[in-house]
Amino acid sequence: MSPRGRGALGWWGLILPAFLLLTAFYLAPIIQVLAISVTEPRPGFGNYERLFTSESVQRVVFTTLRIGAVTTVIALLLGYVLAYRIAMAGPKAQRWWLLAVLVPLWISVLVRAFAWVTLLRRQGLVNEGLLAIGAIDEPLPLVWNEFGIIVGMVHYMVPYAVLPMLSAMREIDPRVLAAARGLGASRGAAFLRVFLPLSMPGVIAAAVLVFIFSLGFYITPALLGGGKTLMAAEWIKLQILDLIRWGLGAMMATVLVVAILATLAVFSRLVNLRRLFGAGG
Amino acid sequence: MSQSFHEDCAELARRATDRGALPRRTALKALAILGLLPAAGGVARAQRSKDLVISNWGGLANEGFTRNYGAPFEAANPGFKVSMNSTGPSAGRIKSMVDSGAVTWDLCDSSASSSRVLGKSNLISRIDYNVVKKSDVISEAFALEYGAAPYSFSSVLAYDSAKFPNGGPQNWADFFDTRRFPGTRLLRRDALAVLDAAQMALGKDPAKLYPLDARACLAKIKEIRRNAVFWNSGSESEQFMRTGEAVMGIIWHTRAKVLEDESKGRIKFTWNQGLLQAGIFVIPRGNPGGADAQRLLASMLANPEPQVELLRFLGNGPTNPRAAALVPQELKRFNPTDPANAAQQVTLDGNWWGDNYTELNQEVIDIITG
Repeated sequence: MSPRGRGALGWWGLILPAFLLLTAFYLAPIIQVLAISVTEPRPGFGNYERLFTSESVQRVVFTTLRIGAVTTVIALLLGYVLAYRIAMAGPKAQRWWLLAVLVPLWISVLVRAFAWVTLLRRQGLVNEGLLAIGAIDEPLPLVWNEFGIIVGMVHYMVPYAVLPMLSAMREIDPRVLAAARGLGASRGAAFLRVFLPLSMPGVIAAAVLVFIFSLGFYITPALLGGGKTLMAAEWIKLQILDLIRWGLGAMMATVLVVAILATLAVFSRLVNLRRLFGAGG
Repeated sequence: MSQSFHEDCAELARRATDRGALPRRTALKALAILGLLPAAGGVARAQRSKDLVISNWGGLANEGFTRNYGAPFEAANPGFKVSMNSTGPSAGRIKSMVDSGAVTWDLCDSSASSSRVLGKSNLISRIDYNVVKKSDVISEAFALEYGAAPYSFSSVLAYDSAKFPNGGPQNWADFFDTRRFPGTRLLRRDALAVLDAAQMALGKDPAKLYPLDARACLAKIKEIRRNAVFWNSGSESEQFMRTGEAVMGIIWHTRAKVLEDESKGRIKFTWNQGLLQAGIFVIPRGNPGGADAQRLLASMLANPEPQVELLRFLGNGPTNPRAAALVPQELKRFNPTDPANAAQQVTLDGNWWGDNYTELNQEVIDIITG
């Protein structure tokens, strides 16, 4: 073996304990749980068949995907505007902007959901305000429906959308914009044909991050949905803890894991995923 | 199922003590008078104690159950120590414990339908009715094959009387009648008690309610789902009523009492056609205490005084036939098993529900979320 090969082996040896630890205490139990999906109530793929035959399973999958997609789009739009504004601000202003983006991240998801309830309910601030100025006659149904869920989820996800996009925008050399303008592009054209394409890796990274997070939401839909919207995470809890249909619950968990891994696999070919985990830039 | 009734009771009582509405000492003093507090535990400690563990849903249930279920048993059986575990014995947790062969609970605060489901999967033990006395409960519904109930609760119709100046809804037919009584309804996101109410609204004789006509009941839910909000936890149900999101609801009697007290009678509730339910305790298969768990359960059913204390403390209704007479006058109105109240209610059939719960609950959830 070449000295170089031996050295590499040594490095691999160093991560061996961590690898074994992860396998024994993380991967193995997860696989054990996911395996229940093909062993209960009887061995076979009966639980997976329900993906194609059961309307209720399909509804949960589609509801989860739909809410995840809508949340992602809105969070990206809001996040892009914010990230753009931050990237263009002076260094001192940037720090304040970033603080404003990060502070909500430190507030518990429960507190934020309840805050939205207080604002959006029938006798909440928004409805009372609109009634008082005569804009509406009847309180608007702003919560206990999908609208409320999406408001809550977008609010939660915007910081996660801003950060990867901001890091991508910071990498863009401001001189290319100046060059575009110098070559006769209008402000709009310079943005659309130069800045936007250059920021796309950040947009895709943010989309992947937000979408994957959205698939697993539990508390926000449970609190703001008024019981009428069921997403995958809550559905799994229902099957495992209350209905003791572990096979079905494990099936949905497997589908969720596979969906997330597939999303990651597809997009890892498009963007540098390390950016997601803070190694970007 | 969402948050369970027992979980909710504990939370309610905690809030009451926090406000000072329910002095902690009341219960202690009452117990001391009744001679139920173990004097100093000297005898028990001298010998090697045998441990029994009751699994509950936490909060003040710990305190309430320790004093009213554990202490009387310890006093009568020197050498035993009853302790609480409050991780919440959901059906899924009981299954995982029994499946893995590492059972640490002797008695679990479960439910009638879960006891049937778990029993059929061979995950819990049958109740030994040579030890547990069927004569210690007011009706069959509280002594099932796989579990027995030392307490009761009820799902009742509560309404905001300010919204109905010409008289509020008095039964489930009124509840489902959105033309005579307009406004948003509040239902539990669960099949239990909700379908039973729908069946009564359909006009079936409450005395012969079971088996439910599931298709018709589900269709009835479908009728009002657009005009309804759904609760998961007891506190949520209270919040929906308090903030005027809903004008009437099917909620637990404990929450209805709080709302009535707090709103000074504006939010009212009726026992009429309420669904009386059993707080069923089950014994997981392979429990560490073995047959002694049956003796503990027997003692919980046999002592009416602690059950009355629990009514005062957590709002749970007694199930012992001698208990109702011991309830002080001012509490009688809030006791689900008081003869006057019980006569107006319908006892939920735990066995029928045990056989149908899993499937029907899924269907109810499909309708609600559809």
